[in-house]
Amino acid sequence: MINSVILSYTTFVYFASFMLYLLMMVMGKDVFGRLASILTIGALIAHTSAIILRWIESYQFDMGHAPFSNFYESLIFFAWAVVLLYVLIEWRTKNRSIGTFASLLAVLIMAYASFSGVDSRIQPLIPVLKSNWLITHVITCFIGYAAFGIAFCLSLMYLLKKVDDPKRKGILLKTIPDSDILEELNYQVIIIGFVLLTLGIITGSVWAHSAWGRYWGWDPKETWSLITWLVYAAVLHSRMMRGWRGKKMAILSMIGFFCVIFTYLGVNFILSGLHSYAT
Amino acid sequence: MKEPNNKRGANILWNVFSSMKLTLALLIILAITSLFGTLIPQQQEAVRFAQGLSPRLHQFFELLGLFDLYHSLWFRAIIGLLALNLVICSVNRLPTTLKLFRAPSRPDRSKPFEDLPPQRNFLVERGIEDVGNRVADFLRNQYGRIVSKSTPEKNYLYAEKGRYSYFGVYLVHFSILLVLIGGVIGSVFGFNAYVNILEGDTVDSIILTKDMTSKRLGFSVFCEKFNVDYYDNGSPKEFRSDLGFLVEGKLAKKASLLMNRPITFGGITFYQSSYGSIPGKAYLSVQKEGSDLVESIVRVEIGDTFSLPGSESQIQVVNAVSNLNEMMGPAALISVKSREGEEIRFWVFQNIEKLRNQYPEAMFQAPRMNPSSFKPYTFFLKELESRFYTGLQANKNPGVSLVWFGCVVMVAGFFMTFFTSHRKIWVRILRSTDETKISVAGRTNRNPLTLEKELDLVTSQLHKLLD
Repeated sequence: MINSVILSYTTFVYFASFMLYLLMMVMGKDVFGRLASILTIGALIAHTSAIILRWIESYQFDMGHAPFSNFYESLIFFAWAVVLLYVLIEWRTKNRSIGTFASLLAVLIMAYASFSGVDSRIQPLIPVLKSNWLITHVITCFIGYAAFGIAFCLSLMYLLKKVDDPKRKGILLKTIPDSDILEELNYQVIIIGFVLLTLGIITGSVWAHSAWGRYWGWDPKETWSLITWLVYAAVLHSRMMRGWRGKKMAILSMIGFFCVIFTYLGVNFILSGLHSYAT
Repeated sequence: MKEPNNKRGANILWNVFSSMKLTLALLIILAITSLFGTLIPQQQEAVRFAQGLSPRLHQFFELLGLFDLYHSLWFRAIIGLLALNLVICSVNRLPTTLKLFRAPSRPDRSKPFEDLPPQRNFLVERGIEDVGNRVADFLRNQYGRIVSKSTPEKNYLYAEKGRYSYFGVYLVHFSILLVLIGGVIGSVFGFNAYVNILEGDTVDSIILTKDMTSKRLGFSVFCEKFNVDYYDNGSPKEFRSDLGFLVEGKLAKKASLLMNRPITFGGITFYQSSYGSIPGKAYLSVQKEGSDLVESIVRVEIGDTFSLPGSESQIQVVNAVSNLNEMMGPAALISVKSREGEEIRFWVFQNIEKLRNQYPEAMFQAPRMNPSSFKPYTFFLKELESRFYTGLQANKNPGVSLVWFGCVVMVAGFFMTFFTSHRKIWVRILRSTDETKISVAGRTNRNPLTLEKELDLVTSQLHKLLD
């Protein structure tokens, strides 16, 4: 299948951009950053076309459906959303240091999809997935997850910046934006993630209501999505409290991303439930 | 001044419930307790887990409702406290918000113009009145209403957008209450139930999930056929139940129930939920000892009685299972009653040859396992037919539309809270010697970067307009 071939090359290109972004940070030379941006955008275009090709291929196998129906496809889309959001942020902020973290996140997701015995074949849709809600539910959830992934990167950068001794002026950290800007950006990205997670939970509820006859059933996946939602709701409220900005918010946002990962992976592999087709 | 004690108590309570700290604490507590519920097996799954606990631990879990955590009183109490906290916080903040919302527009403020970046000022060679009229037209076009104040030397113009954005947060909080109320209505006035209908059968009652009691439908449901389609790779493609709904014995509606395509009839919504089969007719053959001839072949349902030619004993198929002990395959339990009233019972297996190789011969000498227990005959189970049934969910939830309404309000509230802002824009026009100086300033309640972009745009548009 041509889409898998494109996707494996894409993974290597993302890795190359990660190395270049890192070089930019270490050497302090902008030329590496510019090269990294070009590679990232090129890989994103390839990534997008691979997803579209996979969609077309599924029709050739006579089981046409959007490529969001199993674990492999969700990983591919997750990585795509991370890169897309990053590229948008780079374009808006004109800062490339986030690229080091975001491209690494994308590489890790793509590598997981290709190495660890994840079934990459196109599979037909089982009856429960035959719903108009599949596409909206998956898109909202995973762009939300990707936003939280970027927020995790920003929180990590914030904490790195905080430990940086102003006298030593670590080279690595020079290219990272000021903590105020990081914090504001982090908040904006968390808002995007929170709105999309909410939409993901709502579309999931509407779907569950038509498939299983209830909109909420405390299934582990549902419960963990609620836990994630509560943690980020706490993050958003904490900003309005004295002394909760900055470090505490960054840590809470990182905890939030662990909840996202557990909602996504932990529930599939550790707990059992109705979402088992996503493994 | 000393307040009366009870009033002070009420004040303290009010302060506690209107604090953001409580909100944060409750959100985190709710997250952590929800987490426990995913680690401890709940409801049906809890039974096996509970057996492994020591009696005292079991009692402890039972007392705290940990086997059905999400429906326990204390869990609901946490949600209730959060709702209360949310209401009181909103009530507490409302006066401030209303003040902001109603605040009069003041065109002649000088503070926004302090520390104005240089690119927000420009000079034109036009008279102050001409400039004033043109700017007023522009702002009116872009922002609707404007407020102005002018003297021969100075002209201030003020415009704004998004005053309503102060209420976004109330909309979000209100929507959460709507969802919770919808949930309560659903659990008080609604029910979840299920029913299995064999192909060709009709049911007129369903079983409530809550307490396993039966509930009459007031109409009946007939399952004509249940069907599973498969893909080439063997995974299921479609589950379909062909149903008929009968009122007082008359067919009122006929429809195919598919997964994701529920059917509502008589206020109750039916969902394709599961399927299965139960043993149907057993196909038995009987041989006489020492003879190769088949004595008799019968096709009987469970409970049916028959007799063999030349024998007065009554033979009945008492039970049949598709997989005895979950490893011995299809089997039928035969009961033979002699005329004197003596009864013997024994199992007859379909895969007897295979089983004889698998298990010690002595096992099939035991009277209950020996298909030759009724001398001089030997019984064989040729085939066990199966009857399909469809498993339906049958639910009623009058709260669900309120929940959906709450969701729509929540999304609208998010857009108002996060993506709109109250943007105030001032344009100051000053007369200097033979030129006119124009300055553009602004203030916002959130998203300052968006405002900066807007001010840049307004400045450049005005510059073009007046050049």
